[in-house]
Amino acid sequence: MKRFIHYEQRAASLREVFIRKVLRRTVPSRRPSFWLRDFSLDVAPGEAVGLVGDNGSGKSTVLRLIAGVYTPTSGTIETRGRLAAVIELGVGFHPDLTGAENVEQYAAVMGLSRAELRERFDQIVEFSGIGEYVHEPVKYYSSGMHVRLAFSVAVAVQPSIFLVDETTAVGDQDFREQCITFIRQYVAGGGTLVAVSHDLPILRALCHRAVWLDGGETRMVGPVNEVLDAYEHARGPTAE
Amino acid sequence: MIGLHGRGGLFEFWSFRMLLASLVRRNLTLKYKRSLLGFVWTLMNPLLSMAVLVVVFSTIVRLPVERYWAFLLSGYFAWTFVIQMLSTGTYVFREHSGLRRSVAFPNDVLVYGAAGARLVEFLAELVLVVAVLAVFHHGELPASLLFLPALVALQVLLAVGIALPLATLSVSYNDVEHALPIVLSMLFYVSPVFYPASMVPPQLQALYFANPLAGLLTMYHAVLYEGIFPAPGLFALTAGLVAAITTLGYVIYHRQRALLPEIG
Repeated sequence: MKRFIHYEQRAASLREVFIRKVLRRTVPSRRPSFWLRDFSLDVAPGEAVGLVGDNGSGKSTVLRLIAGVYTPTSGTIETRGRLAAVIELGVGFHPDLTGAENVEQYAAVMGLSRAELRERFDQIVEFSGIGEYVHEPVKYYSSGMHVRLAFSVAVAVQPSIFLVDETTAVGDQDFREQCITFIRQYVAGGGTLVAVSHDLPILRALCHRAVWLDGGETRMVGPVNEVLDAYEHARGPTAE
Repeated sequence: MIGLHGRGGLFEFWSFRMLLASLVRRNLTLKYKRSLLGFVWTLMNPLLSMAVLVVVFSTIVRLPVERYWAFLLSGYFAWTFVIQMLSTGTYVFREHSGLRRSVAFPNDVLVYGAAGARLVEFLAELVLVVAVLAVFHHGELPASLLFLPALVALQVLLAVGIALPLATLSVSYNDVEHALPIVLSMLFYVSPVFYPASMVPPQLQALYFANPLAGLLTMYHAVLYEGIFPAPGLFALTAGLVAAITTLGYVIYHRQRALLPEIG
């Protein structure tokens, strides 16, 4: 279970801390709090699982929990092997640094050694298709180029667990196809994938199973087509 | 192996060191990128402030300090190092929020990375200061310089020990950022930056040196300006204070660190 203590409940200023701790009164919060409840998922090596659900249903929360960015309020998460995640667009690239410099930084955060990076740098640039622009500051990149670069570094980590959030949607057709080809090979080679996407056809093509999240609760877990059919049906004929 | 989870010591030591080195490189690259004069700017700011202080305190308010400029120079860079680190602490986590929210890694490394980059600059400044003082003040290299590594270590520990909890708290509370400039300007007067600690009345000395910066700067004055080894008692006291502050700072970070990525 993951329960978020709201920023508001945590007190944004000393005034609120004072009210809460000294006067022992609660500061009224008009914001709802979000819980991810009773979530349980086992993913075997070589298996691909898709997460679907409307905006704010908890898909990214699940990815961040698996990635270890968030800590569960209760329950446990266990992962084995190297993990790579492309969760946020741009993943904190610095606009003034070049693509290459950002790659170095991102690779280091992902736990890639300098030797490994040197070895795989050309491969990263090639996969990204960015070419000579890799030596230009990232601020001149389009959002598609950002994603290409972030995704390529994650690929170069050669993870056993790969977490992807929505990112392929930003890339162009070529890059999407390239990513899909890569993910197919990756999963066939025994890699574990957890993907979040609103692009249901892609999830159908890539995933074995799917989880449908709704307001932090699991509505359905099962074979990808069954879950996605139910999800599409529930959203009505206009969806997709 | 259980993956790179940011929950404990699971992030292996070598990954941590590599990330630290990469952050130091990044911070220096960013600072000196597309800046022709580069390091000159880094020196310019403290040198201009010092020039003003020299004029004020050796011609207007005349402090009984021989070669006031040499005195000022001997402690000023350590002072700027510490206060710059504290300011950095208030924004370093926010600066990297994208990274912190998408990859699990021990967030405190960001503070150490900032300190490391600043340390590289400080060491360059220190070489210049030692050279200038050796030529124009001592006429030789005093043996007391051997004590410098201990002082630098103390200074880095102190700066990091305060910057880390500041960084942690400023994720939740904007107040930290607002309060810091006020605290720093007060600290400027209650630390021996522009006057020697020996001018503090004896009955206030005990209270005065409860501020570890007072001890640190006084030891810099001893080593660089007076060319003597610092008093062992003062070193022990300051080291003790720094150890206590750093421990407390780390505990504050450690208790909050699991929540940091979700707050922002």
